Amino acid sequence: MDKNFVINGEELKVQDYKLEAGLVSFKLNHKDYRFTLVQKDGPEMILDDGNRFKAAVGSMNAEGESIVMARGREGKISSGNKKTSKSRVQAGSLVSPMPGKIFKIVKEIGSPVKKGEPILILEAMKMEHSIRADKDGTVKKILFKVGELVQGGIILAEVE
Amino acid sequence: MKIRKILVANRGEIALRVIKTAKEMGIKVATVYAEDDKNLPHALFSDEAHSLGLGALSETYLNKKKLIDIAKACGADAIHPGYGFLSENAEFAEMVEKNKIIFIGPTAESIVLMGDKIGSKKALEKINVPMIPGYHGDDQTVAHLAKKAKEIGFPVLIKASAGGGGKGMRIVHQESELEESITGAQSEALKSFSNDKVLIEKYVVNPRHIEVQLMSDTHGNHLHFFERECSIQRRYQKIIEETPAPNLSSELRLKICETAVMISSGINYRGAGTVEFILAPDGKYYFLEMNTRLQVEHPVTEMVTGHDLVRYQIMVAQGDKLPVAQKDIKQRGQAIECRIYAEDPDQNFMPSIGKIERIGTPTLRDVRLDCGFLDGTEVGVNYDPMLAKLVVWGEDRKLAISKTIYSLDEVLFLGVKTNRDYLKRILGHQSFIAGNTHTHFIPDHKSDLEPRKLSDEDMACMVAALSFGARREVKSGGASESLKTPWTQLTQFRN
Repeated sequence: MDKNFVINGEELKVQDYKLEAGLVSFKLNHKDYRFTLVQKDGPEMILDDGNRFKAAVGSMNAEGESIVMARGREGKISSGNKKTSKSRVQAGSLVSPMPGKIFKIVKEIGSPVKKGEPILILEAMKMEHSIRADKDGTVKKILFKVGELVQGGIILAEVE
Repeated sequence: MKIRKILVANRGEIALRVIKTAKEMGIKVATVYAEDDKNLPHALFSDEAHSLGLGALSETYLNKKKLIDIAKACGADAIHPGYGFLSENAEFAEMVEKNKIIFIGPTAESIVLMGDKIGSKKALEKINVPMIPGYHGDDQTVAHLAKKAKEIGFPVLIKASAGGGGKGMRIVHQESELEESITGAQSEALKSFSNDKVLIEKYVVNPRHIEVQLMSDTHGNHLHFFERECSIQRRYQKIIEETPAPNLSSELRLKICETAVMISSGINYRGAGTVEFILAPDGKYYFLEMNTRLQVEHPVTEMVTGHDLVRYQIMVAQGDKLPVAQKDIKQRGQAIECRIYAEDPDQNFMPSIGKIERIGTPTLRDVRLDCGFLDGTEVGVNYDPMLAKLVVWGEDRKLAISKTIYSLDEVLFLGVKTNRDYLKRILGHQSFIAGNTHTHFIPDHKSDLEPRKLSDEDMACMVAALSFGARREVKSGGASESLKTPWTQLTQFRN
């Protein structure tokens, strides 16, 4: 059976995927892989493919992705196909790069902006980060006030 | 007077660090915790723990009055401030002693002196401590500062007089950038430290950051515990520290350490302190600042010298003589500390938050993980994103490096993105292995430190692990919940 995965945003196809009790085997880029599960303790496990190594799998997030650590490498993995990104942010929507606090609003709603001009300033990690217009236009929305806390990866303002 | 109970006015790994030594010495420990920290080990593993309530830092860990009231109510006869927070707050040190409680740290006078970058330099120049050429004067007009910068010669560094941790710092390479940099540094200084005074210094190209661990008692003994090399920094924050410093001649090492002792004895210092120097490639070194507290990176010194610095802090605070003489303090082997942060080095060090599902345990000999979290606890945005310090000792530097690289794989923090792989890339870099460290190591080797692409084998291992270990999320709501509490800037956190 063919099976698809997404690792760090890249699609990965494996062939002849078989999962039985304590054994998984598949083909990847014409090479055969075979792993046995030696031991499992909660999220941590010991696997064997001829050499034993440690691995750990975090619980899935809302998008079905898990953090996986194996042989000292780390990645974000999900099974299935890459999501068609309906949640993808459109041009003009400015997204917070990290969690932080709105430090300053530089442009008011309705002000004209040029690409690259800062619209607001986010304070995070003891640093100020300018959130800049990604195109020429007018500030249409600013969704937060000074002093508000924001998560990473959410829309802060919109330019039209 | 013997200390019988210590209140630790801090959180996380440093609170635990103090708890350990206090327990070894048979001293009771009380800790404090903000309500959003109530499940963290510093709130669990002390003899008694007291809530600071919930709110901004000024209401919790920085609330001087609340801390002193708790100390009095629980009968603590001493307060250990840890690092960051109130550890270098002279007003707090004074308040503590006024309330007949021992402050485990220096006198308020020493804190005031060293907290003022300009004042400390003036005082130390008098006792012939080498100073970097610069302007520390009171004329803060842009025109005068610009004139002085030109006299010193480019490149120059502009920074907040009262600052630390990189806040308000600007490097200026040419005259055209000067004015904007001065005004920028002034406004950042004002915002961070309520004081817009800045100073200008000659900027040393490829400098090393060498610091000396000091410990002084109240009987006139001013000792050093040798140097630490802390050049590997990102955004002026140390991430890897080690001792002994590589490629440092024993003559220069001794000279630097003796200069540091000249400072502690010169100001009649008390307790643990660290003098930071800039070491130029030509072997000249300059005083940078003195930190009047225990440093984050103190464990490497403990590993290599075999002395417990927290124990000595407590002994000095209760008036004991230091039980060791300078000639008996020796460096043995090599120790390396890595600061494990909840961040993604490959996404511009974006901090990560979330629930730590599992913390790995190091298994090799002489490896210590100083960590303030437990399995199932949350990393939020309200505090510094340091998760733990991995401290490794080896018979020599080569062994210490290979043990550290191995141990970094072991100490996973499942659930949050960490800089472990990035630390491995630095430690495995040939320039690091050769000991060619300086404070621009990270920007200079940026492309070498990019993540290695996952190989087919790596991905196959991940597919296998997911096959056996995929699990649905257990709802915790943690990250969003911790975001609701006010975030207060940690301007007092200095490393």
